[in-house]
Amino acid sequence: MDRANRYDIRLEGLTVGYGGKAVVSDVNVALPGGEITVILGGSGSGKSTLLKHILRLHRPIAGRVTIGGHDIFGLSRNALRCLKQRLGLLFQDGALLGSLTLFDNIALPLREHTRLKEKAIAEIVRAKAGLVGLADFLDYFPNQLSGGMRKRAGLARAMAMDPEILFCDEPTSGLDPVNSAALDDLLVELKRRFDMTLVVVSHDLASMRRIADHVVVLGRGSVLFDGSLAELEATTDPYLRRFLERRAEEGAGEMLTMPKLDPKVMKIDCSKYLGEQS
Amino acid sequence: MSQAQKGILAPVTALGAATLRLVSEMGAMFLFFADSFRLMFSSFGQIPKTVRQIFFIGVKSISVIALIGLFTGMVIGLQTYYALSKFGSEGFLGAAVALSLVRELAPVLTAFMVTGRAGSSMTAEIGVMRITEQVDALEIMDINPMSYLVSPKLAACLISFPVLTTLFDLIGMAGGYLTGVTLMGGNAGAYLYRIDSSLDWEDVSGGYIKSLVFAVIVCTVCCYQGYFTHLRKDKGPEGVSQATTTAVVASCVLILVADYVLTSILY
Repeated sequence: MDRANRYDIRLEGLTVGYGGKAVVSDVNVALPGGEITVILGGSGSGKSTLLKHILRLHRPIAGRVTIGGHDIFGLSRNALRCLKQRLGLLFQDGALLGSLTLFDNIALPLREHTRLKEKAIAEIVRAKAGLVGLADFLDYFPNQLSGGMRKRAGLARAMAMDPEILFCDEPTSGLDPVNSAALDDLLVELKRRFDMTLVVVSHDLASMRRIADHVVVLGRGSVLFDGSLAELEATTDPYLRRFLERRAEEGAGEMLTMPKLDPKVMKIDCSKYLGEQS
Repeated sequence: MSQAQKGILAPVTALGAATLRLVSEMGAMFLFFADSFRLMFSSFGQIPKTVRQIFFIGVKSISVIALIGLFTGMVIGLQTYYALSKFGSEGFLGAAVALSLVRELAPVLTAFMVTGRAGSSMTAEIGVMRITEQVDALEIMDINPMSYLVSPKLAACLISFPVLTTLFDLIGMAGGYLTGVTLMGGNAGAYLYRIDSSLDWEDVSGGYIKSLVFAVIVCTVCCYQGYFTHLRKDKGPEGVSQATTTAVVASCVLILVADYVLTSILY
């Protein structure tokens, strides 16, 4: 099995949700190995939920997830352990352990899964922290870092074991445009240099256009689009066109989860209430 | 079934549902304990984590246990001296203080204090880790969260509780001496002799068995509540605060229930 097939991820008839209530239904897509797949969708469309089910953090309501042809819910304990050590996940807020310094956070998987000496671990940690520009912050605790720095630190930790598949949950949310672009470049560089498979969950169109080889769009509880970036850009589907052109027109509420503002609420004159207080 | 019949049966139905929930929760907690106990022996890597937890749960509780032990002993010394002096039996003060401390008060009050100081913080720590996806991060890194977070705490509780109970016993007896002998003028020799002669190994071992059972209760209840914070209706910081309250109340109730059961079995 070549490398690309080995890390192909297939979602077959997958229905995911919480407490038996489906968030995304009947997902049938293939995420090709060695490429960057962006799972795109509005807020609340079920992107992060889908990602957590792909990563086996929750059991799906129906369907299955295969990685390299193996059903991840049917793996033996040892096979699952081998698979997990090939995966990395960058959480939305970094999910760094608050009681550990940045150094110890990045070193954690190395200490738990390898028999490397502390000197070697320190070298790896410095290299990974350098990769995301945090080599000077290794003694800091997560609560001393900014949101963007925590995210980059989370990426360094996800990279600690040199994963072959890297999942990123909203990597650019909360970052300024310069840092967003830098993180996008880093993800593309990781794919190119280490031949990694990346699955990126995002609603950032600019980021998607910079990094995506393959795009899956979620909306209205199902998959709206599955194809290449070029195919998505050429789509004539009205929902997708609105999303891509950032237009909130009629019917947008079906795709996005924002309620329409009530004009009566907008017209309330607060000054009379505020005036009573003075 | 008519509406009237349903109305009459409603309290019974509610009681039945609550009982089923309680039994199911107790079963889940037992499995949680069994898993964390098994993982205590999973690798040598658990030792440094356990040592850190002993420092947090045991060493940092010493001052509060010493303080509570001293005042408990002083109160027992004072009250018992007053009661015994009515019958001219002040000489038995040492036996009364030692037996009440070793068999009952030291294990129970130590467990209460550790629940308040360390148990609540265990729930809050694990609960916050749960809602901020830190537990998920451990799972993704193929680090068993039970082994990383819960087992070292259980091992630390099993080591710390008997040691803290011993400390409570000794300082409590010193407190009893302070009030019964130094303050009230009881006989020092009789006080110490009665402690020595009245305490059997059965009393001491019973106190230790109690402290070990309380260690299991406190650690299991507190860690369980934190670990499953995300399954509560309120999943955010409110969920953590509710989990912490539940953990402390449930631990205290279970300690008293277990104390009664153990006392009736052991002595």
